[in-house]
Amino acid sequence: MSTARGWVGRLHLPTLGVLAAVLVVWAGLSWRYGAYVLPSPWSVVVGFVDVVRSGEIWKHTGASLYRIAIGFGAAVVVALAAGLAAFLWRSARTVVHDLLAILNATSVFVWIVISIIWFGLSSWAPIFTTFMITLPVVASNIVEGVENVDRRLLEMGDVYRLSGSEKFRSIVVPSTLPYLVAGMKIGFGLALKVSVVAEIFGVTSGIGYIMNYSREILATQMVFVWALVMILVMMATDKLLFDAMSRRLDRWR
Amino acid sequence: MTPKLLVEDVAKDYLIPIIDRVSFAVAAGDFVCLLGPNGCGKTTLLRIIGGLEPATRGLVLLDGEPIIAGRPHRHRIGVVFQEDRLLPWLTLEDNVALVLKPLGTPARERVEIARRYLGLVGLAGFESYHPGRVSGGMRQRAAIARALAIEPDVLLMDEPFGALDAQNRRIMQREVRRIWEETGRTILFVTHSIEEAVGIGTTLVMLSARPSRIRELIRNDGRDRGTLIDDLNTMIMEEVERQQGARP
Repeated sequence: MSTARGWVGRLHLPTLGVLAAVLVVWAGLSWRYGAYVLPSPWSVVVGFVDVVRSGEIWKHTGASLYRIAIGFGAAVVVALAAGLAAFLWRSARTVVHDLLAILNATSVFVWIVISIIWFGLSSWAPIFTTFMITLPVVASNIVEGVENVDRRLLEMGDVYRLSGSEKFRSIVVPSTLPYLVAGMKIGFGLALKVSVVAEIFGVTSGIGYIMNYSREILATQMVFVWALVMILVMMATDKLLFDAMSRRLDRWR
Repeated sequence: MTPKLLVEDVAKDYLIPIIDRVSFAVAAGDFVCLLGPNGCGKTTLLRIIGGLEPATRGLVLLDGEPIIAGRPHRHRIGVVFQEDRLLPWLTLEDNVALVLKPLGTPARERVEIARRYLGLVGLAGFESYHPGRVSGGMRQRAAIARALAIEPDVLLMDEPFGALDAQNRRIMQREVRRIWEETGRTILFVTHSIEEAVGIGTTLVMLSARPSRIRELIRNDGRDRGTLIDDLNTMIMEEVERQQGARP
């Protein structure tokens, strides 16, 4: 129950005050400009309860998360391979660095357009886009971790003649793990933001699709509902998944 | 009697000459302290002897076998560095047990040996602590336990107490002397503290200013410590002055 307590403790009074003020201004503007431009906070709450009741929330969130899991998961696997290469061969580091610099400089939209050309209007478009965007983030973190392994610890391993695989397992992996978790945390947030954009095109499920569809049928309050769902998913994974992973890694500190 | 460790005409250039020419012999069970002014190449010499760095010229023989950086040899060399170099994610026990793996010791025995040596250095009861949870002195004790656990032919110590405060330093000096008496290991100990060297070493090797040679080799048989410390202090002052160019 300590987590529940932490959540309550996190509810900072001035923050609540600011949120309340935002709600009031929001309601006022909504009343002034009409529900199509800005739906009222209340209609968003009603819409949210509706999608939870009907189970639609799970259908679209599940579809988005499924695509993220494949695209982001593949990016983590490839990033780990890049990290291993950087550990084994010094020259691989420069190659990985240069490739990641190019990938980092490439816009999301490039990958969306290319993936539609390559994969047509299918789930593979958001999956591929997610993969290409998160790969450089996760990989550069892992490679940085591998480069920052304490040389003095590796020399200690040499003194006691630990084998290459033993040094990798006992020294390189534990010192790189915090970098991996940090990279995954940033990468996952990016994946969620990017994959929904790619879902605007050609798929018939997912948070991105349903937001765009809501806009088309002039149900602006549902656009806000799905934005809220995205925010909640992001915060939940951050707190429940990645914070727990970091805490587990820090046990020995 | 053939010496345990033979250092023969070892020289090291690193852009400039660091070690000019150093030769000495260490008998089995000796406790040798390498002394000299800061920056005279004591640590470099120790690293060459440990096979961590190649010598430019000369030879290091351990029981007659050459020790050359990057080449495998049959001997066991334990090293205690200035920093503890423990793996922070492993318990003290696992840190010690880890270095027994390459020796092919079975898992159960590794734990037993690790516990025995942690006990020897006074860390009984702290086996399951992580390095971050114990003091600097205790971490250095664990590093010593790790070096002893492999039953090294020679134990190299590179200013192992440099990072400790004065009290801990004195305690650790007594401890190392006791451990040496109990285990009979051959120890090579680098320090820049004359009091430390006279307090624990059986043989004192005083190096000159860079590029270093052996300035004086002294048997420390316990007689007249005060005079010995005074003499060594005078020598080290001369060498420091020479290094700074104040003396030819």
